[in-house]
Amino acid sequence: MDFYLTLNEDGDVGYTFNQGMDRLPSKVSCLKIPLPLGVIQSVQTQMTKFKKQRHFRLKGNYHERIRSELFKVLNNRDWDVPKLTWEKDFVSLRSETPASTAGKGDDKELLFQSFDWLVRGRQLSWEDLRNLAHELKCYEETILQFAQINVAAKKAEWIPAVLRQGEGWQCQRCGAKDIKEWPSFYGRAGTCLSCMSLGSSTSLKAFYRDYRPLPEDTEKVDFRPHWKLTEAQGVAAEEILDFLKDSSETKALLWAACGSGKTEVCFPSAAWALEQGKSVLFAAPRQDVINDVAPRLKRDFPGVAIQVLTGNAPVKFQRGRVVLATTHQVLRFWQAFDLIVLDEMDAFPYQGNGALEWGLKHALRSNGKLLYLTATPSPEGLKEVHRGKMRLIRLPARHHRFPLPVPIIERFSQRFDPERNPPSLRRDRFESLRHKGRILVFVPKISWIQPWINRFRQCFPEWKIDGSYSSDSERSVKLEKLRQGKFDLFLSTTILERGITLEGIQVVVLGADHPVFDERALVQMAGRVGRTRKDPGGYVLFMAHLETTAIKKAIHWIEDQNRMALEKGLIGEDLKGISNE
Amino acid sequence: MNEFIKEGFKRIRALWYLERSGCVFCGGHPSPICPICTRELLHPELGRCLRCGKLIVQERTLCKDCTEGKGPKYLKKVIAWGHYTGCLKEFIQNVKFGANPMRMMQISRPLADWAIRELPPVDGILAVPMHSTRLAERGFNQAELIASLIHWELGLPILQGVKRVKATPPQVSLSRQERLQNLKNAFALQSKELFQGRSVWLIDDVTTTGSTLDAVAEVLYKGGAKEVYGLCLAAGFEKVLVPGFD
Repeated sequence: MDFYLTLNEDGDVGYTFNQGMDRLPSKVSCLKIPLPLGVIQSVQTQMTKFKKQRHFRLKGNYHERIRSELFKVLNNRDWDVPKLTWEKDFVSLRSETPASTAGKGDDKELLFQSFDWLVRGRQLSWEDLRNLAHELKCYEETILQFAQINVAAKKAEWIPAVLRQGEGWQCQRCGAKDIKEWPSFYGRAGTCLSCMSLGSSTSLKAFYRDYRPLPEDTEKVDFRPHWKLTEAQGVAAEEILDFLKDSSETKALLWAACGSGKTEVCFPSAAWALEQGKSVLFAAPRQDVINDVAPRLKRDFPGVAIQVLTGNAPVKFQRGRVVLATTHQVLRFWQAFDLIVLDEMDAFPYQGNGALEWGLKHALRSNGKLLYLTATPSPEGLKEVHRGKMRLIRLPARHHRFPLPVPIIERFSQRFDPERNPPSLRRDRFESLRHKGRILVFVPKISWIQPWINRFRQCFPEWKIDGSYSSDSERSVKLEKLRQGKFDLFLSTTILERGITLEGIQVVVLGADHPVFDERALVQMAGRVGRTRKDPGGYVLFMAHLETTAIKKAIHWIEDQNRMALEKGLIGEDLKGISNE
Repeated sequence: MNEFIKEGFKRIRALWYLERSGCVFCGGHPSPICPICTRELLHPELGRCLRCGKLIVQERTLCKDCTEGKGPKYLKKVIAWGHYTGCLKEFIQNVKFGANPMRMMQISRPLADWAIRELPPVDGILAVPMHSTRLAERGFNQAELIASLIHWELGLPILQGVKRVKATPPQVSLSRQERLQNLKNAFALQSKELFQGRSVWLIDDVTTTGSTLDAVAEVLYKGGAKEVYGLCLAAGFEKVLVPGFD
């Protein structure tokens, strides 16, 4: 992707793309050496300042003075080229290609339409555009040519991936200001290390930023929910709709009990937004959650094109006004959505990650609405609610009207670290749990998984036991088996603490006093139990050496939710506490 | 306030504890290159093909291709530091495509120590030049970067005066024949006297067939250079002669 500096007859500095690939408005002189876009833009700024000086217009030959000033600016840059000269380094270009070059021939016209459809509301790097070329099965040059047509029509813009801001830098993809600076051939350059997983972002590269919203479908929105909202859900859904219609509010927080069906609560509002011609994004921090929500969304919105974008998605460019994406993918959108629903707002890797917060802010259109969903709000989130900057919507009860199972603490004299003489397993305890249902055991560290699997296998040779963690290569296969109920006991780190529903599961947290487990993680893990109507009860055991503040807080939090639900009449009074009997 | 206290603690900690950096390639210990990476990537036990730098068994001096006369013709000797695979490949790609040139500094010492053991002292070092179109995209020439590190460590002067006059597709995508054709007339000498009677280390990041190095060496010899040695970070190995590698 090469940008060439141009100088037109009026003395304006601009750029052309891959030397004349794009349409040039008039006769221009073009520098033969390509330059990074950021460098051209800084030259542009300096030249504009120079042209504004009053005395400049009055003195001598206008063109001569412009040229000599341009050379001064170019030669003064801290770079390692022999002095530039007009005769040697500039070439005169005149456009002979009209803007519709790309439209020649039906095939190319169709290709352009596909491209135009897919890039709306997107911010794409050169690597992304190359992937698009690959997906559309066309040449990379063709894609660049198409992109440039949109830029020339002012529908989109090329921007340096990392932008100079005063003395510092800012990455235009993730907003990070902590930029690694290095001396490049063209003077100081910056590389963003925060969003490297999406491809490199440096001040020498450019992003294609399309300012148009996602294309509207002409088809009618077909919303066919396969469930009926409970009383509690109905109240929350109404409130969300009210929030969407209220133009004075931009942010809301839905604080829901674990397993209360908070995702479904948003579906009616999403349907309303789609009917209004708006675009909707469901974002979640982890792929597991996206893979869990996608089939539900597709089932309830038949005929609506839904984009499912995760790091592993085979097709990165899809059509549809409903987008389901991991938060990282959000960084590839620009002012595209009227409504963003962010599931599990406090979950890793979103919490405290300024990059993704920045991404969400920029993926939202002006006057767009942001709805956070969580079972365990962060202190920052609650602070915003107290300050009146965010509306709070509560959903304290599960759809089956049973209370949340309250964890039972079981204390041991030893710690559970497998390397430090951990307590022996109580066979009868686990057998009685197994009698109630399959067991999910949480441990705080990856290194604990295998030793504990071995211990459990020794203790229960007849059981099917396995475990998984984030970097496990067989993770997805094992989780599928877990969903199918093929294990008696399954060990996991916090990867399974959220967004997963397993029927009849019982939870044990080994080493619940480990500092890795804060109150939010403990609430989430406890929230895996009793999520289905068929099996609304169950046990949660916190096995620990000490009773930490996090444990106490988590239990208090759960009891508080139950109390509130009871007060509002959202759970059956006669059923209170039944799950732990 | 909390942030302030945290930052304070961090700084006080930094007074007592030195931040330990791990192996440049794998992050393990000790730094800068751990014994496992030395064994798996740098292969000190293997020889290098004198003509193209490929990793070969110690007993031989030339690889099969070079024995058959298919290798470079102008270079006096070529050496490659390690095998272009695994963490070393990732490292080079991260520097080049991830726009992370500062990482290269971490290997300057071990690379320079090894180079001065393997090659005779020369009048100066020259980096394989890069065409301006690729330079505009990347912002730096990785070969120049390595050259500047060697210059910093060993004090050998950096020479300039060869230009890449033809933008060529990356060698990696081409066959042996195409590579040779690809580089035809790609380099030019800027002034004839620059390399007269001089010996040079010619530096690049990766070599496969040695054709890029050879194309530059050809230009240098035509310009009167006395001896040209090739120095690379990484190269392939000869599968036939080094069994047991995948």
